[in-house]
Amino acid sequence: MSSHSIFPAALTLAAATLMLPLSGIAKPIAYADGSTLMGEYGAGTMQEYQAFYAPAYWWSAGGGHLRMEAEDGSFSRDINYVRGNLLLKRWNLRQAQANVFAWGSLGRASGTDFEGNRTAWNAGGQADFETLRYYSSARTDWQYSRNRFSSRIDTVQLGWAPYAHDWDRLATWLVVQGRHYTGDVYDGIEAAALLRLFKNGAWGAIWIEAGLTQDGAAQTMFMLNF
Amino acid sequence: MTHFHTLLRLLLPAIASLLLGLPAVAQPPVGVIDMQVDGLVCAFCAQGISKRLGKMDATEKVYVSLEHGHVAVALKPGHDIDDDSLRSALTDAGYTVRTITRSDESLDAVRARVEAAP
Repeated sequence: MSSHSIFPAALTLAAATLMLPLSGIAKPIAYADGSTLMGEYGAGTMQEYQAFYAPAYWWSAGGGHLRMEAEDGSFSRDINYVRGNLLLKRWNLRQAQANVFAWGSLGRASGTDFEGNRTAWNAGGQADFETLRYYSSARTDWQYSRNRFSSRIDTVQLGWAPYAHDWDRLATWLVVQGRHYTGDVYDGIEAAALLRLFKNGAWGAIWIEAGLTQDGAAQTMFMLNF
Repeated sequence: MTHFHTLLRLLLPAIASLLLGLPAVAQPPVGVIDMQVDGLVCAFCAQGISKRLGKMDATEKVYVSLEHGHVAVALKPGHDIDDDSLRSALTDAGYTVRTITRSDESLDAVRARVEAAP
């Protein structure tokens, strides 16, 4: 798949999401007047750390750091960025919710396969659908720096909760994830099985996720909302 | 004479209320506002509802049930929150309010009733 075919890929992923049993998510906007801290270690090929503040439930702004490392060790890239997230559409259904998010970033990139710091752009989107027992989400994230690199990370997740969690109970999810990289970062589909836990408290809410890919590499994530 | 007594029986409470400065018809006190809310599935996002409603002056305590799609607000004595403000708070949190019901039950009673529902 060409790294420039972001829109067809995003549409395909969104369509796939709607056809899957149900959907769900790490959302870039949690709630109005809420702050989010996120960190993800993606099996050695990507690491990302983000901090956002949402003045309203439909947008948030913040910044982050993304590190990408080629599977074969041929290059690595670091991007520091400022980002805006937008909730394009939300459907509130009886005991279900669906969302479409989009975001864009501007940042500076450095890498072992080019010299100096370069301006880097990013665009991405996510479609999700979630109930208390099932979720699915499809996400695409495109990184671009003119004459230097263009790469995309596409991620699809399906989740199942063995019990319906309520607001004040520990929520447990079993998640399968498929991830596809363009730009020679990883060849093929990286699949992972994950255990996700989250819990609300008076201080906020925390989400912790951990699992393994088919190569035996660790995949972890945390998110904190307050 | 019978008519006079009937009239007196009807008017006396109203006269007494006027003299004592009390409302002619006693309203049951509203203790809890219970709302049915659509889209209530994300525990992270429900945190936002609790935070927003909890900031209101009239709020004593907030109860959220994701499983049953209910949000209930226990009011401080002598306080109230009008429907428009509640709808606005929930809409601004990203949710859709389906119904708003007021009762003089305790929050625990509302919780028990909601959780007993199938």
